[in-house]
Amino acid sequence: MSDTVDKIMERDIDPATGDTSIANYTINFGPQHPAAHGVLRLVTELDGEIIERIDPHVGLLHRGTEKLIEYKTYTQALPYFDRFDYCSPLAMEHSYVLAVEKLLDLEVPLRGQYLRVLFAELTRICNHMLNLGSHVMDVGAMTPNLWMFEIREDCLNFFERASGARMHSNYYRVGGVRQDVPVKLLNDIAEWLDTRLPQLFGDAISLVAENRIFKQRNVDIAIVSREDAIKWGFSGPMIRAAGIPWDIRRAQPYDVYDRVDFEIPVGTRGDCYDRFMVRVEEVYQSARIIKQCIQDMPEGPVLTLDRKVGAPKRGEMKQSMEALIHHFKLFTEGYHVPAGEVYVATESPKGEFGVYLVSDGTNKPYRCKVRPTAFSHLQAMDFMSRGHMLADITAILGAMDIVFGECDR
Amino acid sequence: MRAPAPRYAANDGVIEAAKAALGDMLVEAKDAVGEVSLTVVREKLCDAMIALRDTPGLEYQQLSEIAGVDYPQRPERFDVVYQLLSFTRNHRIRVRVTTDEEKPVPSVTDIWPVAGWLERETYDMYGVLFSGNDDLRRILTDYGFQGHPLRKDFPMTGYVEVRYSEEAKRVVYEPVSLAQDFRNFDFMSPWEGAKYVLPGDEKAPAAPVPTPPVKEAKTTDTPAQTGAGQPHPGNQPGEKPKDPDVVPTKGEGQNK
Repeated sequence: MSDTVDKIMERDIDPATGDTSIANYTINFGPQHPAAHGVLRLVTELDGEIIERIDPHVGLLHRGTEKLIEYKTYTQALPYFDRFDYCSPLAMEHSYVLAVEKLLDLEVPLRGQYLRVLFAELTRICNHMLNLGSHVMDVGAMTPNLWMFEIREDCLNFFERASGARMHSNYYRVGGVRQDVPVKLLNDIAEWLDTRLPQLFGDAISLVAENRIFKQRNVDIAIVSREDAIKWGFSGPMIRAAGIPWDIRRAQPYDVYDRVDFEIPVGTRGDCYDRFMVRVEEVYQSARIIKQCIQDMPEGPVLTLDRKVGAPKRGEMKQSMEALIHHFKLFTEGYHVPAGEVYVATESPKGEFGVYLVSDGTNKPYRCKVRPTAFSHLQAMDFMSRGHMLADITAILGAMDIVFGECDR
Repeated sequence: MRAPAPRYAANDGVIEAAKAALGDMLVEAKDAVGEVSLTVVREKLCDAMIALRDTPGLEYQQLSEIAGVDYPQRPERFDVVYQLLSFTRNHRIRVRVTTDEEKPVPSVTDIWPVAGWLERETYDMYGVLFSGNDDLRRILTDYGFQGHPLRKDFPMTGYVEVRYSEEAKRVVYEPVSLAQDFRNFDFMSPWEGAKYVLPGDEKAPAAPVPTPPVKEAKTTDTPAQTGAGQPHPGNQPGEKPKDPDVVPTKGEGQNK
């Protein structure tokens, strides 16, 4: 596999030019471009239509979130995580609450863990719908995107019914989730998984997966070897497409991932088509996990009963003086987290999303460094697209699955 | 560990293996909150990283993350923290070096090319220099930005704000002007663990003041002294201060 990359890298990319000499020229792609998936600026150096060098300029969506988090209590910092990868907000919250729980050494009720896994997987479906849809649209297909947005819309409706918000749910809490879900919602999700999702998604993928044009645009584009994938810090579908069966949900299970059964799709060639198909299969596996969660979920509390961390219910506050005091303390001062540092990484839909949290024993994080998935993938853009055509940039970028809320923070 | 955080291979024997592999490059090794962190000598960072990657039994193949942390009270104020991941052993480890604004940290871009952008980000946010990184440009902040925003002495509001000027027909940079001051509440309770005295809450000096000797025996206050027994002590009409805003009505009031 690496031989192929070497061949691409070393082949003489200077086209036959005869006697006329052609100078390389530099073009600017973005930051406002529909295929840039946000605000990405690529300074590309081209030899004819062949890419010689790409210098991605990121940071146009930098909002200083890490600085803001240092000035907020642990509870107040949570909604910022929805705004990192705004296509899969709950997966971002997941890393953060797990990190704080690890510092607190806090036990989480089983139903809370199941709910978090359920919604994390629903988020994965939601994220992949956006990415797969925009990927096929970037390489020229229109219809699948519209159908996949239907599915995404369904997912957002489920989030709304659980948390009250469609995108920035702010649903997870340190110690569980904010509130329990109605039984009707679980029934509806189960029914949706059996009927609407396979139908719409199957139809959409059947239009492109074996399509000749789609394959011509993606197969053998931007092949990444296993060695390169490790060296360049790949994770998630990117490293699995390169042929390494690495999934944090399986290798380092968190919450109840060790209680559910799922398979890890792995690519064989490490090209854009593999990345696409890995994500397609992940959608089906996520649906499997959600079904198991709905089936196995026990009754019980969804938020920790440790009242020094988990906020009391409104009804309880009307009855109990102590609950009222706890509520007041939790929403003004917050809870103090023991001094220490943790690095907690989870398998977000885009890859390894990590949170490095340093606590100094106060109610605010001393330092909260976010490990975005897009940073390492986008950095590899240069060597991945070298020797390919200008039009392949959109396919490579689409298969990377990059969102700038997370990349720029 | 009771928390449901990611569970990877146990830390048993990792510190011993690291001590054997790193020798005198290792400054400190500790196992806290279920995670192993090593502090290594800054100048030997690259050798230490290669040893951690290539020694059988350690095998940390991937660099996940580089983070800076600022401790302004220390002489070498910055920590540069590397998170390493081993696929084969399914384990994570943290490597740390300390530095200040001037002493450069050796770049690990030759070992892991992914470090290029991560070091650029640490440079951008903290001003830590990396020797050997030949592309040490700013990455996340604006073109032409000055300062290093994640340092603890950099104000959260920053110094410069931008807006689109209708007169100049372009984006203009201006000093920050806030309609309301930034409010930073101090929730450290003065009763629990605070290392400082809140303004207006100064207590007696630390040196013990000798108690003055009792000159006469204390007697119980009489009702005349305390006001006990009166219908509204301290609230008689004559005792109230005059309120200029209250104009007494002529009649009995509107509720009569």
